[in-house]
Amino acid sequence: MTTGTAISQAPSGNDNGPPAELPQEIGRLSPKWILFFGVMTAITAVGVYAYLLQVNNGLIVTGLRGLGTMAGATWGLYVAYYVYFIGVSFAGITVAALIRIFRIEKLEPVARIGELLTVVSLILGALAILADLEHPWRAIVNLLKYGRPQSPFFGTFTMVIAGYLFASLVYLYLTSRRDAAILSERDSKYRGMYRFFAAGWEDTEEQRRIDRRVTFWLAVTILPMLVIAHSTVGFVFGLQAGRPGWFGALQAPGFVVLAGVSGIGNLIMLAAIVRVVTKTKSRITLDAFSWLGKLLLGLVVTYLYFTAVEILTITYQPGSAEQGLSEALLTGVYSPIFWISVASLVFAAALLLWQAIMRRWSIRLVFVASLLVTIGSVGKRYLIVVPSQTHGQLLPYATGTYTPNWVEFAIVFALFALGALMIGVFMKVFPIVPLEEVETT
Amino acid sequence: MRTLVTTIMIVVGLGLMIISYTALATPTCNVSVECSDPRVAFAAGIFVLGILTAFSSAIFYSVYKGAE
Repeated sequence: MTTGTAISQAPSGNDNGPPAELPQEIGRLSPKWILFFGVMTAITAVGVYAYLLQVNNGLIVTGLRGLGTMAGATWGLYVAYYVYFIGVSFAGITVAALIRIFRIEKLEPVARIGELLTVVSLILGALAILADLEHPWRAIVNLLKYGRPQSPFFGTFTMVIAGYLFASLVYLYLTSRRDAAILSERDSKYRGMYRFFAAGWEDTEEQRRIDRRVTFWLAVTILPMLVIAHSTVGFVFGLQAGRPGWFGALQAPGFVVLAGVSGIGNLIMLAAIVRVVTKTKSRITLDAFSWLGKLLLGLVVTYLYFTAVEILTITYQPGSAEQGLSEALLTGVYSPIFWISVASLVFAAALLLWQAIMRRWSIRLVFVASLLVTIGSVGKRYLIVVPSQTHGQLLPYATGTYTPNWVEFAIVFALFALGALMIGVFMKVFPIVPLEEVETT
Repeated sequence: MRTLVTTIMIVVGLGLMIISYTALATPTCNVSVECSDPRVAFAAGIFVLGILTAFSSAIFYSVYKGAE
């Protein structure tokens, strides 16, 4: 028996029309897609305008102000979303590791969605941190020139932005070569691009053995990098001894777990959207969602435990700054965000737990739980970044305030729109769901 | 050839990372002003280059067409 490779043929958008040239609606722009690209481009353009305003006038056009005498917060929405985007990047390599190391092959159809989500979210994370800087070009040069390992920013820059992003790109590329080779045999306008990316991939046993070996070792190598990278982001806060609410040993593991919560949550939502848009419901089945749901449940419960421990500890701390911070979080100005975030996470955990106990999973309910954990994790990121600056003063300064303004919201929305554009463009030129393999005789 | 070049790339990458890390103002030097800057300029950049080299080895290993 010879082993050949064939791909599943996605049905044409028009039932009466000819069979689709490329699967998964690649290369075809329906009016809905054109509208999607138009709206996302418009939102991105508004964000670019807001950013140019910020570059020309400085951060004074934002709601950010100095600590202490200016009674504000120097890190606000940009840093909160930087942490959020880096957290979302957890998804890709985790799924890759589950498939390659633990051989959970039911997750194979969502692997590329996860890898793409990782790459896009890391790019957005880097852009979010650049948005927070008044002179980003200086930061880029100075980080390369003067970076020191004592600073957690060194790890953030080298491990997260450079290493983790590059390694994820390599992983995404190597796991996509096979599909590029298959598509390069078809007559399409992207044929040259597929041939370039396939880089001579041939369906031989030797090539498959090489691919298995490389992707396994990449997953093994990137997995500890993932833990280091997310811990390093936690250290940016957790190693600041002079800032009540930040300094603590739980920050690093808390960041890793919350990254998992938001990463898997976003992956579930994106996978649910992709299976409808690309008409791959038969590929991305309930099995994948139940696996991801179980993983999300474990992560959410762990994070809720961390939150309880953190809150209990902070309320017992003797300093007036710590007490003021805990009051602001539990009953004060930040309490609505805090309780909404906690309630979202608790409700999501209950929703997932109920499905796990009943052993009956629903894609819609897993999607709702993912939406809830996303709301909860965004709120938690905001609460990690902002309250310690406005209510965590060790020096006798007045309590501060921070309210993000339209410039910050425009830039953050633009980052989301840019991410959606990147994923949308990818879906229109390459199969986001790995092509199905059919053994032929 | 495939294994040899891949191994060299990993070793060079790791070497760049280790050398650049130790060439920086190391964690043992925290109090002196002299330690404010890295001993070698762009040492962090060299560290990043090491990461890129090490992970690029995976592309070479997978794409290389010659005999083992």
